[in-house]
Amino acid sequence: MVKPTLVTNSIRSLRFASGEMTQADLADRVGVTRQTIIAIEQGKYSPSLEMAFRIARVFRVPLDGVFRYSDEQG
Amino acid sequence: MAFLEKSNWVALVVAVPTLLVYVALVVPQVLSKPIAEVSWVQPMIFTIVGLIVANILGNVVAAASNPSEADKKDQRDREIDHFGERVGNWLIIAGSCAALALAMTRADHFWIANAIYFGGLAGALLSSVTKIAAYHGPFQKW
Repeated sequence: MVKPTLVTNSIRSLRFASGEMTQADLADRVGVTRQTIIAIEQGKYSPSLEMAFRIARVFRVPLDGVFRYSDEQG
Repeated sequence: MAFLEKSNWVALVVAVPTLLVYVALVVPQVLSKPIAEVSWVQPMIFTIVGLIVANILGNVVAAASNPSEADKKDQRDREIDHFGERVGNWLIIAGSCAALALAMTRADHFWIANAIYFGGLAGALLSSVTKIAAYHGPFQKW
């Protein structure tokens, strides 16, 4: 539960590049709560593959345009 | 704040005074008279019913404070909910096992009922604390 995720994301910069989309707007379009978007952005929660695809689809980019997996695995 | 987190704060805020009321009503009796003479059934029923009613009222108030969020529950909420319930269930099981052992050794009804009662209450408290902690810290299911 407390292990930090190795998945990083560019949601924050993609939101700003998409006309300063708010977290609430993104949450509505993905179909989750704003708190979940905040947790994903802050790296506190790794979304499911399906949710990750829905987020990528909102920004019209491939999955690895939003999410990256860090190479620094222990 | 997600509605489920509010709901867990309600459960926590309600359970602690309930526990204190029960302890304040029963423990002085346990210390001053034989167990068979302790009046524990009414305080137990009173605090269980009070806990349920206060939880319902608290959830109604939490929902009324932000109606648009009240019925929203996404995948993260469900995962946190399941995780918290699973952690809390350990104490409920521990309370049930203690009650079983007490029944096998022909202990007084008082001890059997209280093992179940405190196991349930402690499990609910642990479950709420776990969920609130999961909402604030990192939470990874996989």
